[in-house]
Amino acid sequence: MYAKFVFRNAKRSAKDYLVYVVTMTICVMLFYAFLSITSKYYHPDIGTEYEFTLISDELKMAICAVTLLLLFLIRYVNNYMLRRKQKEFAIQSVMGMEQKTVAWLFFAETFLMGAVSIVVGISLGVFCSQFITGMLLSAYGQAYQLSWTLFPDTVILTVCFFSCSLLVMGLCNVRTIRNIKIIDMLYADRQNEPHIKKSRYMPVISVLYAIFLLLAAVTGISQMYYYSDPRFPIPVHIMFWGNILVPAVSFLFSVVWCVMHKKWSFNRYVLVAAILSLANIGFAASVPVIQKKYMLSSGEGTLNEYLMFLLVDVSFWICCIIFLASNLLSEWKEKSPAQKYRGTNLFFFGQIISKLHTTSQTMTLICLTLVLSVFLFVAAPALTGWASGYLAVRSLYDVQISTSYNDVYATEDLPKDNYALVTSFLEEKNIAVAYDCTFNLYLPKQEDFHKRVKWDFPVVAISLSDYNALREMLGYEPISLNEGEFTTQWQTIAAEEDRNEFLRNHTVISTDMGTLSLAENAYHLEAIGETVYNPYTDVIYVFPDDICGNLLAVMRNRYVKTKTVIPYQEAVSLENAFVQKYPEKPDNGNDVRYYIRTSTQQINSTIAGNFVLQATFVYSAVVLMVICLTILSLQQLLDAAHYKYRFGVLHELGVDRQEAERLILKQLAVWFGLPITVAAFVSIIVAAYFFETISAQISAYIGVGALLTQVGAMVCILVLLLLCYFISTWILFQKSVTE
Amino acid sequence: MMNEILRLEHIQKYYGNEGTLTKAIDDISFSVAKGEFIGIMGASGSGKTTLLNCISTIDTASAGHIYLDGTDVTEIKEKELARFRRINLGFVFQDFHLLDTLTISENIALALTINKVPAAEIDARVESIAKTLSIADILDKYPYQVSGGQKQRCACARAMINNPKLILADEPTGALDSHSSQMLLSTIQSLNEQLGATILMVTHDAFTASYANRILFLKDGRIFTELLKGDHARRAFFDKILNVLTMIGGGQTDVC
Repeated sequence: MYAKFVFRNAKRSAKDYLVYVVTMTICVMLFYAFLSITSKYYHPDIGTEYEFTLISDELKMAICAVTLLLLFLIRYVNNYMLRRKQKEFAIQSVMGMEQKTVAWLFFAETFLMGAVSIVVGISLGVFCSQFITGMLLSAYGQAYQLSWTLFPDTVILTVCFFSCSLLVMGLCNVRTIRNIKIIDMLYADRQNEPHIKKSRYMPVISVLYAIFLLLAAVTGISQMYYYSDPRFPIPVHIMFWGNILVPAVSFLFSVVWCVMHKKWSFNRYVLVAAILSLANIGFAASVPVIQKKYMLSSGEGTLNEYLMFLLVDVSFWICCIIFLASNLLSEWKEKSPAQKYRGTNLFFFGQIISKLHTTSQTMTLICLTLVLSVFLFVAAPALTGWASGYLAVRSLYDVQISTSYNDVYATEDLPKDNYALVTSFLEEKNIAVAYDCTFNLYLPKQEDFHKRVKWDFPVVAISLSDYNALREMLGYEPISLNEGEFTTQWQTIAAEEDRNEFLRNHTVISTDMGTLSLAENAYHLEAIGETVYNPYTDVIYVFPDDICGNLLAVMRNRYVKTKTVIPYQEAVSLENAFVQKYPEKPDNGNDVRYYIRTSTQQINSTIAGNFVLQATFVYSAVVLMVICLTILSLQQLLDAAHYKYRFGVLHELGVDRQEAERLILKQLAVWFGLPITVAAFVSIIVAAYFFETISAQISAYIGVGALLTQVGAMVCILVLLLLCYFISTWILFQKSVTE
Repeated sequence: MMNEILRLEHIQKYYGNEGTLTKAIDDISFSVAKGEFIGIMGASGSGKTTLLNCISTIDTASAGHIYLDGTDVTEIKEKELARFRRINLGFVFQDFHLLDTLTISENIALALTINKVPAAEIDARVESIAKTLSIADILDKYPYQVSGGQKQRCACARAMINNPKLILADEPTGALDSHSSQMLLSTIQSLNEQLGATILMVTHDAFTASYANRILFLKDGRIFTELLKGDHARRAFFDKILNVLTMIGGGQTDVC
């Protein structure tokens, strides 16, 4: 009897909560599809030089962590279902059913709906995993191959993960139902939602933000040790003082308002706090930019701290905007009777304000989540493009050995080795060498050896013959220099303005062996690897051989190109053997640092890292977006009973169908439009800021056009997703209200 | 009839198809004079609400004509119906039909704004009718903050504010306690007597009906009989109503 009851109810609920079931199915599908490539039974053919297991654990962790967010959605929908069904529960209880039984019946019903979603989701996930396999194979440069397998470990993980989630949520519901009084359930639909003026949500947020402001001001003061030097340029001082004064003023304003709150309404306080939070956002955002521009050193974790401040400021600003939206709309409505009393505006305002009042917390969360989702969507192509482009620039040689003298303070400790270990290793493994070049990098003036300030690090020089040897290795034409001339070689990332300025100021340079003048062909831009440059510099000089012979050699590098690709395992053992003899971090701390990089390892780790990043970002973004849009949509659809009544009253009062349909569209447009507009506005600013901070990398490794195309494609997908949700909500809403 | 405002001619309403035809209203004709307070009584299923729905244009009659101030409402096109309703009719329902998202004052004003009354006039008109109905002190409250009687007076104010030609009340006291019912009925009576509102009230309650000037009794979709208050006191009229109800089956035997 009860089983029949559960099945019938679940069937009916599936119709009611179609959006929920569909969303759950999509989430299970995505979860299974992304997770399937981490299965131990999954063996795609990606070539011997690649090691695939690198990504599986990282990806598994990332996907499970992101999917935990889905619990929020499940909880949210469960709460709504509970609220809607309370009257039904009350009637069942009044008829004599024990509340315990009612609760367990509801549990069985929701679990059944969830189980259906899991089964359908996994089936669809098998199809969807083909896209992920395609993405993976294309990342490794392989042709697409079909793999229709239901991986048992992934199925078990998916079923366990979602069953546990449903179980936990279901048990929470059981507890809730058992604790509600029958009388409260019976009159649940007559209760009105709490009025925002009585809600403590915004005052609590404001108090927490005030405490945060104090923390931000104290952090600003604690940076005095790094930034209070008067020799810093003015922007550094503005950033430093701004990050102390603006949080301090904002905090004082909160305190003053607390004392004088009877004279100033809370709405006005929030308005001013929102404006001040914008100033806080500006100053917190300036920290990474100024720090990078002026190569400032700062305390451990300062950058992360300011990025966290930025996040808190942006979140508070969004809270304020959503809170003010309903309150300012109410105020504006009261102050402009002409608008208030125009046509059906009174009804429209009533609908919007009551909804905003009761759901401003959800709206704020939706806004924040949407911003995060959009950011993940647009950041994914930028970051993976950066990593791929950077890979092309840095993995030019099969083996790269480089050194740095940053911690060396005596010239006799500078490197002089020929790294014979590499030669013997390659011979032992029968890996034929095509090109091999061991060379020095020199300081034009020996006195520069002790220059260790980051923004004034000396540019090193390479001899013409070594430079030409490198060019030959990479397939470029050799260059020549006249007597007494030098030329320059630039990093791909260097900005054109910086290059021109440098060349203008360095037409003649003095060395320990006399002065040299800039050759007619003043610069070369071909990528020759990044380890050839001194740290913190983007350029090297190319000097005639006879000059270099008498300069101080500070770095000794060796680049090798092999005839065949070094297999992954051999590359790992070569790196291990080298690191044992030439450590990256010497024990005494005052020695040369040696680095070895093999292209096999670089390519492998970059592709794997790129794939994990891309998969995680895209997965997270889709899951977050689906959660947000589903909640927006459900909030409208699940209240359709209220709306049906309200539109019914309008009909009786003489409002025709067209006007009612227009009102529905207007209401949905505002409901979807407000969080999406706020989120879009914040996302544009965040994305612009993000792209600005990595603008050098974008132009060097990706190209503005290519990035814009990819970001544009992502935005189009987002808009499409949004339109699908909006139109389906509109149709379903209209149907349920006007039928 | 002098100053006739509403006339029904041979109204019929059928449900179902040929095989299982149910006649909810079977050939009803009557007239209502301007300023009249008419009650329609009958047992459940007698067709009184169906009749009200046909008059209010919410439902359509299967046959016959309904004239409101000379206009045949059965001939009005679908598109014009909403406009006709908002200009000519006012409604009072058993469960108030107020919007919980609007204050009492806004609920009343909504009827004016839908009729495109200039914004400058609205507040004054709302306040004036609120004073008449003794709800001026609750204008800024929401429906869930006031009592059932106050809600129904708000509904009356909303129905009256456009000075409609006819006010249709469907069991207006159905959801109220006896004290609130009495107060509301006195209010409706005063609207009728002082403001000259024409009221057509459907009820199955003899006490409520005793406030009307004339009562039509329906039975099985037909007019069973008609009762006029005339010069009778309300108590005597109530007794006469009870007698008719006893005749057609059902009723109440006490009055306060």
